[in-house]
Amino acid sequence: MTAQTDIVVKRRAPVVGGLISWLLTVDHKRIGILYLLSASLFFLVGGLEALLIRIQLARPENTFLSPDTYNQVFTMHGTTMIFLVVMPLAAGFGNYMVPLMIGARDMAFPKLNALSFWTFLFGGLFMYSSFVFGGAPNFGWFSYAPGTEKLYSPTHGMDFWILGILMLGLATTIGSLNFIVTIIQLRAPGLSLTRLPLFVWTMTVTSFLAVFSLPSLTTAVLLLFLDRQLGAHFYNVVQGGSALLWQHLFWFFGHPEVYILILPAMGIVSEVIPVFSGKPLFGYPAVVFSAIAIGFLGFTVWAHHMFATGMPSTTLLFFAADSFLIGVPTGVKIFAWLATMWKGKLRFATPMLFAIGFVAMFLIGGLDGIHLAVVPVDWQLTDTYYVVSHLHYVLFGGALFGIFSGVYYWFPKMTGRRLQEGLGKWHFWLMFIGMNLVFMPMHILGLQGMPRRIYTYGAGRGWEVWNFVETIGAFIIATSIMIFIVNFFASLRMAATNEEDPWDGFTLEWKTASPPPVYNFAEIPSVRSRRPLWDEKHPELADWRVEE
Amino acid sequence: MNILMQPRSINRLSTGSLALFIILASESIFFATMLVAYISLRDQAILPVEHTLRRLIIPLANTLILFVSTFFAWRATSSIRRGKTSTLKSYLLFTVLLGFIFIAGQIYEFSRGGMHINDQSYGGIFFTLLGFHGLHVLAGLVFLIINLLRAQLGDFSVTHHDAIVLGTWFWYYVVAVWLVLFGALYLI
Repeated sequence: MTAQTDIVVKRRAPVVGGLISWLLTVDHKRIGILYLLSASLFFLVGGLEALLIRIQLARPENTFLSPDTYNQVFTMHGTTMIFLVVMPLAAGFGNYMVPLMIGARDMAFPKLNALSFWTFLFGGLFMYSSFVFGGAPNFGWFSYAPGTEKLYSPTHGMDFWILGILMLGLATTIGSLNFIVTIIQLRAPGLSLTRLPLFVWTMTVTSFLAVFSLPSLTTAVLLLFLDRQLGAHFYNVVQGGSALLWQHLFWFFGHPEVYILILPAMGIVSEVIPVFSGKPLFGYPAVVFSAIAIGFLGFTVWAHHMFATGMPSTTLLFFAADSFLIGVPTGVKIFAWLATMWKGKLRFATPMLFAIGFVAMFLIGGLDGIHLAVVPVDWQLTDTYYVVSHLHYVLFGGALFGIFSGVYYWFPKMTGRRLQEGLGKWHFWLMFIGMNLVFMPMHILGLQGMPRRIYTYGAGRGWEVWNFVETIGAFIIATSIMIFIVNFFASLRMAATNEEDPWDGFTLEWKTASPPPVYNFAEIPSVRSRRPLWDEKHPELADWRVEE
Repeated sequence: MNILMQPRSINRLSTGSLALFIILASESIFFATMLVAYISLRDQAILPVEHTLRRLIIPLANTLILFVSTFFAWRATSSIRRGKTSTLKSYLLFTVLLGFIFIAGQIYEFSRGGMHINDQSYGGIFFTLLGFHGLHVLAGLVFLIINLLRAQLGDFSVTHHDAIVLGTWFWYYVVAVWLVLFGALYLI
């Protein structure tokens, strides 16, 4: 088909400046920044909720929060951090970086990109507006039906949660669709799939996971909405509904969701570690293959969230074995990162510190996951603080450390200024110490039998000390975040240096100005290896001499 | 998207069709999970539900109507491939009319009584599946009507008719989902 022959160049609407231009923008870089800033605000809110939880649990028999408020706070903390923080932060980096890394001038569908962002933002605000309209959702981020039926959750909180989830799911689906089409269609000449930067690969897998797993959540919440609003009986056992249907539908989404949260962070780390080790990524094909394998296996392990529901033992066996299996590709990645650092010229700048922190913390979280995949162990530990510890080691120590690595790594590209290294190191070390103070003792509390989601506990069970230590840790994390905020604004006030390539990077985003012009590249780059910029800087040592 | 800005000649049809295929794959998971819910719920009804809605006459007629409509949709695409805009318009119009007849049949079935959405879990899943399929038929009709209006305005030519092709594929998809639902809800 001769697409180029009958093109009519249409003029764009007149250019408007100022804040209005941010409302109307379809530029992938601006949308990326909008995503990152909105998600950061939600992060502060979710973090405050975490502090409220920790204050309430600092002492036994505490009355800082009422039980009902406590339920709303932990529900919104989980929902916020998953749907309004980690997912949109990844989407923000994806929007900003994917077109730059593949040498394109924008996403495939810029208007859909804007639609995706605004749907996300209003979905989040809509959910939070429930605090004003009679109470926020209060049944935990996985909202198990039938407990969320009208009979047991009569406030409007659940309705806000359901509709908010539908909006956020729509936003993610549109965004993921855009990523997939962009990455398949708009790569620069020579940028074959075997040369794609790892972050772009993980965004691809993440997008496929989102597109194929979110419909299951959509089904689950739609059925719940019909139960609540039209009196259907999908989850009502008395009327022939099912009490387990929700859990299957929810976790068929929920487990791939875990990889939706972690894979982009793994991609960031796979970009940062090679650059700061001065070496190409060790075992590129294995790392790519392991990301794809995680994507596929992620769809087959959902029922390990349901070991305690009384499933047949063959089913238990299958899901346990499958859950062990998913540890293999994850292990491949860990070894690849370590081997990349091995004998490298390591530079311990803040992005690298966060990347190394990611590897260490994610490893602990992953091993906790292996423990929980053992069915008898899970029967003992399910719904205790052991699980809370596990999920925070992978999502806080994992996803968020990876994202902060990306923040320090790409901030110079986005703003033309580096974040200050001194404050960055304070941020890293305080956050690292703080998170281990909060989440390491949760292992012990879990083994001691402290259930998750209880608003208070009696004295004399041996839980007091660890809970108090955790609360101190939470405030250390909060301090580290304050340092980051100071660093963020202080660095923005400094004069721009506009370094194109501050870290001696390997990939195409460092080939253009900082911040990049609207059109990204004056001349579309062509690619001959996995490290196009390295090739350009070191023609005599170019990768394509080896790879080809 | 500004094609001129892209580095190499991009086949716009493949960009659009790629996007449509991903949407339809996602939709398929949606219908598949609904069907799983249906299969797991349909034998759990505690009181016997009168399956009066499982009378086959109208659903069977509707199946035939959709079959014929795919023929017209297919003819519409092949006419514009040969540049015949007037036959394109009439075939699109026939497709749209058949789509509306299908919707009318469904509305009649829904309002005939005998079962309600709150008749045990079965009533709920029956109407939810058919209802969401109906919404997809309406979405397909909106797509086809926009195509029809654009054809009226002379937007399409032998080389420029991606929307017609995508609209037809969406319509095929809607019909395919109907066949699966017809089998699951009425035949087994």
